[in-house]
Amino acid sequence: MFAAVYAAEGSPSTVLMEVARDFSPRVEACGSREVTLDVSGLARLFGDGKTIAAELRRTAADRGLRVRVAVAGTRTAARLLVHHSKPCDDVTVIEPGTEATSLADLPIELLAILGTAEPEPRTREPRIPDPFTITLRRWGLRTLGELASLPPDEVAARLGQAGVEWQRLARGEDRRPLLPAVPEERFEQALDLEWPIEGLEPLSFVLGRLIEPLSAHLERRDRGGAVLHVRLHLVTREVHERSLQLPAPIRDARTLRTLALLDLESHPPSAAIDRVVVAIDPTPGRVVQFSLLTRPLPSPEQLSTLMARLNALMGEGRCGAAVAVDSWEPGAFAMKPFAPSDASDVHQDKPWSHGGTEISSTDGAGEKDLRVSVSPWPVAVKEAANVPTVAIRRFRFPVPARVRIDRGVPVRVISDRRGWSGGHVETHAGPWRSSGGWWVTEKKNGLCWERDEWDVTLSDGATYRIFRERDTDAWFIEGIVD
Amino acid sequence: MANQALAVLESALRARKLDRTLTTALPPLERRDESALIPTSIAALDACLHGGLPRGQLSEIIGPRSSGRTTLLLQMMAATTRRGEIAAVVDTFDRLDVASVGAAGIDPDRLLWIRGQTICEHGPRSHASASPWLGEASFEQTVVDRALKALNLVLQAGGFAYVAIDLADVSRSTLTRIPFTTWLRVQRIIEGSDTACVLVAPQPLARSAGGLTLSLTACARWAGEADRSRHVIGADLTVRVVSPRRRVDGEVGIRATAAATF
Repeated sequence: MFAAVYAAEGSPSTVLMEVARDFSPRVEACGSREVTLDVSGLARLFGDGKTIAAELRRTAADRGLRVRVAVAGTRTAARLLVHHSKPCDDVTVIEPGTEATSLADLPIELLAILGTAEPEPRTREPRIPDPFTITLRRWGLRTLGELASLPPDEVAARLGQAGVEWQRLARGEDRRPLLPAVPEERFEQALDLEWPIEGLEPLSFVLGRLIEPLSAHLERRDRGGAVLHVRLHLVTREVHERSLQLPAPIRDARTLRTLALLDLESHPPSAAIDRVVVAIDPTPGRVVQFSLLTRPLPSPEQLSTLMARLNALMGEGRCGAAVAVDSWEPGAFAMKPFAPSDASDVHQDKPWSHGGTEISSTDGAGEKDLRVSVSPWPVAVKEAANVPTVAIRRFRFPVPARVRIDRGVPVRVISDRRGWSGGHVETHAGPWRSSGGWWVTEKKNGLCWERDEWDVTLSDGATYRIFRERDTDAWFIEGIVD
Repeated sequence: MANQALAVLESALRARKLDRTLTTALPPLERRDESALIPTSIAALDACLHGGLPRGQLSEIIGPRSSGRTTLLLQMMAATTRRGEIAAVVDTFDRLDVASVGAAGIDPDRLLWIRGQTICEHGPRSHASASPWLGEASFEQTVVDRALKALNLVLQAGGFAYVAIDLADVSRSTLTRIPFTTWLRVQRIIEGSDTACVLVAPQPLARSAGGLTLSLTACARWAGEADRSRHVIGADLTVRVVSPRRRVDGEVGIRATAAATF
């Protein structure tokens, strides 16, 4: 036996779930205002269906909710009835086995309401579209009973398997069993220390002791950690809190402990620790399907540990994947976390978001497409991927140079940098004027530039890109063609 | 009894990979297993290398400035990422140009870029842990040590098809101070794995017995007569391959082109 509880508009869904859970652990949410629950076996506790429904309504009223309740032998029948009942009919109860006859007089449009009220993510059942009910009305059908009485094979011939499904719904039959909603669990462990601890080495044992049961708990629930929170209560009454966003659902205890320790190495607590709390935000576990045809990538656990170690060694933000930015500033780039996708996602012509070419296309309607896209995969690369493209080694901080000019062109480049001898200019090209960022009111280093660029080949055989800053008249080496 | 003790000793040596002599540790002379090679996607070079760089070996790309070391490195990485594998580069002095990475056709999502520290005109800068009172040579040594540690971490993590460390701008004095055992350790880590490790350096530095040395020279190609119309249109690279063990010695000429955004 099932009960459907439909709350008035504006009712909080959490309270509605709490009311339902007071009666049965098998509760399924059907939208924000409706729940269905399995009330089988409650007859011994409360009495018949009418008493159960009245008790449900009374409990909801105690919590400040105005609800309509329907009790029937199937979930579908209960839901149809609760949607059809008038606001004055707070309780509707039908005997199990009489669903088809009880629903016979209900309007056929109710099926559409039932279809849209199904929770989508968990059920992949077909929604009942409005055109379907329009079709049925054109056939002259007005009630669920009329639809239920049609020959199933004729319905299947005209509407397909979906039509047969809807006919079953019209008879009040369930398409699937109830899927109970699992209440949210807290994945948290805490430990009060008898003696305050200092340093990360003793803390690693404490973290291991706390994370291992959490990891086992996550495994039992088929969950992985999305965020790892470490709260350290210090002897100074302060709370040192760190939160780690995990790149993939992780529940391996060693990995989680290593990540927490590496993060605390970079951000150590300021005093001794009194109490340690570890909490994990759960997320559905990962389903991994390896391929026999491609080489496996490192697991997210391995990658996140590697990235944490590299960040600790090289500095925060110095390891990851490069991202081109939408700017003409020479050498502009950004970094993002390194998270390679599966090999099956590799597209040969995958475009970058930026590459340096503004495309202003005109569509057929004569309207300009103002999108700016830069292709880092130049046409030449796409056409002949095995032709190497000349690269530049770029100095993140341009190297100051002394350049002798003769008749407007550089003839000698010298730098005081260790290992740089410089030399006579044998071939040169330029200047190419470049400027940008001048609209920035506050002049900051790197935000605005105005310069003349030259490419020069020196007597040492190397080809350099040099430039002259127009406002300071200073020369710099920007990079080496290599 | 003696035989039993010998067997125990041999198994202990085998477990620690100490049972190999110099010759038995080497790969077979004429290995034609294509899965053990990582193609460069440059047809002429792949033909010369009998398929590409060997996986599980330490190879090196050497040459002076403007010899095409970075061009070749990025081309190999592009080939790796196009196959769906992932690559990593330890950029010792943070000299990688993102536009060049894009122009080479590298999938940036599949390239782990580990940026070292850079040396600016006023000495060490740009990183909090860099001590401002260190001299340039000491700072360079510190940066190189850190880059080598990063290389170790990446290789130990595994799963990367291609891992490169860029030591191209490191001074000779600093390079000679790197203990040779460093490279032996690197070779021990990647031995038997699918990772091809490549050093980019100005001079021959280290190469495992089964690895290759690609010695580069290049000449820039210019087009145009007037100053403003003249520009670099590419470079002619000459790759001399040295690997006595694999018998792939030879010279290959490669024409590199300049990208439109160059």
